[in-house]
Amino acid sequence: MIGDYLPILFVFLLAAGFALGALGLTHVVGPRIKTRVKLSAYESGVDPVGPTHSRLNVRYFLIGLVFIIFDLEVVFLYPWAVIFREQAAQGPFILYEMLFFLVVLLVGYLYIWRKGVFEWE
Amino acid sequence: MSNFDSLAYFLPELALTVLIVSLVLASVLLKSDRDRIVWIISLAGLAVTAVLLAIQPATDQSIFMGALAVDPYSRFFKWIFLVATAVIIIASPYTKQLDGSQRHEYYLFLIAVMFGLFLMASSLDLIIVYLSIEIVSIGSFILAGFLKDDPRSNESSLKYVIYGALSSGVMLYGLSLLFGMAGSTNVFEVQAALVVLPEKAHLTLAVALLLILVGFGYKISMVPFHFWTPDVYEGAPTTITAYLSVAPKAAGFALALRILGTAFGSTGDLNIGDWSPVPGLAFGSVIAIFAALTMTVGNFLAIQQNSVKRLLAYSSIAHAGYMLMAAVILNGQAFGAIMFYLAIYLCMNLGAFLVTIFVHNRFGYDEIDDWKGFGFQAPLIAVPMGIFLFSLTGLPPTAGFIGKVYLFSVLIEAGQYWWLALVGILNSVVSLYYYARIIKVMFLDGEPTDETVTGHPVMTGLILMLTVPVLLFGIYWTPLMGAVQSSLKFFTQGM
Amino acid sequence: MDSLQSYLFISIVMFCLGLYGVMTRRNGVAILMGIELILNSANLNFVAFNRFGGLGEHLPGHVFALFVIVMAASEAAVMLAIIINLYKNFQTVNVDEAHEMSG
Repeated sequence: MIGDYLPILFVFLLAAGFALGALGLTHVVGPRIKTRVKLSAYESGVDPVGPTHSRLNVRYFLIGLVFIIFDLEVVFLYPWAVIFREQAAQGPFILYEMLFFLVVLLVGYLYIWRKGVFEWE
Repeated sequence: MSNFDSLAYFLPELALTVLIVSLVLASVLLKSDRDRIVWIISLAGLAVTAVLLAIQPATDQSIFMGALAVDPYSRFFKWIFLVATAVIIIASPYTKQLDGSQRHEYYLFLIAVMFGLFLMASSLDLIIVYLSIEIVSIGSFILAGFLKDDPRSNESSLKYVIYGALSSGVMLYGLSLLFGMAGSTNVFEVQAALVVLPEKAHLTLAVALLLILVGFGYKISMVPFHFWTPDVYEGAPTTITAYLSVAPKAAGFALALRILGTAFGSTGDLNIGDWSPVPGLAFGSVIAIFAALTMTVGNFLAIQQNSVKRLLAYSSIAHAGYMLMAAVILNGQAFGAIMFYLAIYLCMNLGAFLVTIFVHNRFGYDEIDDWKGFGFQAPLIAVPMGIFLFSLTGLPPTAGFIGKVYLFSVLIEAGQYWWLALVGILNSVVSLYYYARIIKVMFLDGEPTDETVTGHPVMTGLILMLTVPVLLFGIYWTPLMGAVQSSLKFFTQGM
Repeated sequence: MDSLQSYLFISIVMFCLGLYGVMTRRNGVAILMGIELILNSANLNFVAFNRFGGLGEHLPGHVFALFVIVMAASEAAVMLAIIINLYKNFQTVNVDEAHEMSG
């Protein structure tokens, strides 16, 4: 039974060996030229500016919170979608239920919009 | 009943939903005079809800495929929530403490909390139990911290959110164990599964019940889950303190009695009144110990308080203990006594808090000793306060006395637990000391003056209106008891 | 390995860790993390019981878990907002330093 998984182990070892081998090989044979730019922290290719432990603007936090909440509300669409076909045969009420839910969400969206959560300055 | 057919029985809650959505819209779309317009819309919406609740057919059934109950029991509690919310909303514009904060959002959260309370009173499904408690809690966290620049309000909301989130999390774990044992979230199926539960699972059942009691205990501020109560009540705006001490507590009792009675009963027919717990649960003794602790701790800590608000906070813990006393028995009579007491407690506690708001508005006082001579300065307010305090103590001829008589008679008729009744009576005597202290300061200390103080007529009117039931039901309580008796019927799905 | 017991074991460990975190941590955000652990341990229970409980097509446990996830997010949002307000008022996120009231 455990033998069935042996090929997977081989693939895993092969992948790990290749990755480590490639890394190790470049480490051994590759030339190393250290310049100031190369040693500086990588920040998406842009020159790093300022201290790394700066405080983030609270706006990021607000946007993050709003994102989490709306993202999770959408989760209710999944169980709804699962039973939609079966329920829709009995009438369009299931559609109206979800529309009502989305309208309420939309009102929430309107609220945060008018409160200026999305304005950066 | 299918979802579409259920809507006809869900009209009060639907009206509340529409009200909440329109309040959100109003609070962002209106440019000027928002506080006032939102206040009017809220009161109008509450009036519509009241009408819909009144004309709702007097049925006894479950809606939304067994998730919610529409029965006389839940309707009784819905009226309590409606009255409490309406009184608080009416009083709020006349509360100086709230000046400078955004009152329109405050009304919005109050209505949202009330929606959660409606669900709490009628939940028949573990999912709804958790959801409704959380809806109420999240709204209350925000309301407790509504005075954003006041460190005390902020601190109170912080403590509330930590305790609230923790205890609802612990309760959720208990619910998950219950779900595991029953394989269903419907309380009737849970009950059916628990009765035939094998004996080796009884320990798990006891653990699950204890964890669930943590959640219920937090909502009704039962000792030892009461630690949040004094600080939250002191720091929150006084209107919110008044609200939290009455409405969510009533909802906590409504929910706990229904779930405990339905899911953990082996005979289950509470309408007749012979309830016995699922085999393997020493349910009565556990609640009895909690009730005794709750009364005693609440009362003895209340004695040491100097702030009126904090004193009322501790005394509200003690009152939860008195009501828990009857919950030890869990039969129809006990339920009736608790519902009767809750209705009276609503009037007297709201009244006492409104007087506190009045005094704070007019003089900015907090300490008891500052109330010196208040009885001579504002007799129209001080005399009702005296009545509320006498009623909270449980002295005749006020309604509080009748309520307590019913609570004690449950224990005495049941025969056992006489020691609990004794603890309750001793506690009432202790509570006389601190309630009477306020009365003494108001009427006996200080000099008589000719200068009388009057507040806004709305506040005075509300306080006087709340005095009426406290006095009336102390002498002639048959109508209220009749209403309670006819509400003593909850949906039982053919058990 | 794939049995109800192992899921329940992980869940009770998560629950205890969460409880321990809430009780010992003084940082408001760390307390929130503890609470999230507790909620998720209950979620794991719901899903595990649903899978091994022989419920077939019925998925009440999964639906319960979805509701809990959404509630946990809303609760986290409110709690973080309160902690930000705490920082404004007290210049700290340490919940012990908010002690205006006592008794």
